[in-house]
Amino acid sequence: MKEDLDILSKLGKDSGFKVPENYFSDFNKQMMESLPKPNLTPQVKPSLWVRVRPYVYMAAMFAGIWCMMRVFNDMSGATSTKAQIQAIVDGLGDEKNIDDLMLQESLNEYEILTYEDSVDAEQSGIQFVEGSNK
Amino acid sequence: MTSRNTYNEEEIIEQLHDPKHCQAAFGKVIEQYSQGLYWQIRRMVFNHDDANDILQNTFLKAWSNIDNFRGNAKLSTWLYKIAINESITFINKERARNEASIDDDSFLLNNIESDQYFDGDEAQVKLQRAINSLPEKQRLVFNMRYYDEMKYEDMSEILGTSVGALKASYHHALKKIEAFFEEND
Repeated sequence: MKEDLDILSKLGKDSGFKVPENYFSDFNKQMMESLPKPNLTPQVKPSLWVRVRPYVYMAAMFAGIWCMMRVFNDMSGATSTKAQIQAIVDGLGDEKNIDDLMLQESLNEYEILTYEDSVDAEQSGIQFVEGSNK
Repeated sequence: MTSRNTYNEEEIIEQLHDPKHCQAAFGKVIEQYSQGLYWQIRRMVFNHDDANDILQNTFLKAWSNIDNFRGNAKLSTWLYKIAINESITFINKERARNEASIDDDSFLLNNIESDQYFDGDEAQVKLQRAINSLPEKQRLVFNMRYYDEMKYEDMSEILGTSVGALKASYHHALKKIEAFFEEND
């Protein structure tokens, strides 16, 4: 140990401390005699269910979250969109609403004419189909 | 940390958890580590009788907690930790009893020259006084490195300090010992 001091190299590793004769062999014997009874709890190997339980719980939790998301999506997203479209279609079919929309300047005359033309075209198409069946 | 042909640590750890063989296995542990632990304790507390009591407590504590030792660390690391904690607890109690301040452990060496189990000369007494003047952690590091020639990696596990910090601590300890000898020449 080149880092050590000169004084340490002169003194060496002997600290000057001593022990009684046969101290360590006597100590080992006495120590063994004075040991209390072992207090070991037997190690129980965990069952397969105990080991996989956390993973099963986690999988169940994710499955639950996925199901809940599906249910909420069906309840709010898909059905409400359909209902909204239906309400708009119904609303446009009622002339009173068109007047209201015109008053609010939400619809202009061109849009109404376009809508009426499309309705007429649809009706004449139906008539045409009905006529062809006759 | 000595090694003996008949001592296989993995085997011993396994036996320590087997109620049929644990007592015999613990006997081998005592045989294997009693000397190393004794000298570590002795260099901390200086007096043989105190070191003997602390060594007994160390093994009794290890024995009563053997169930909690799962072999994650080395058995020697675990035992050295217990021994050091027991030594520090003893020193703290003695410090309180002697009404000494936290950085003054000179009371530990008061009777060293009259100790029947100390036959060192004047220079060795001086060295022990120099070591005793070091802060507790530096004293531990110095003793482990200088007397036990313990690897820094093993010391790091026992003391929970980085290798770099231990090297620095040892270096500071050497400087302080050198300064102590210069002041007391």
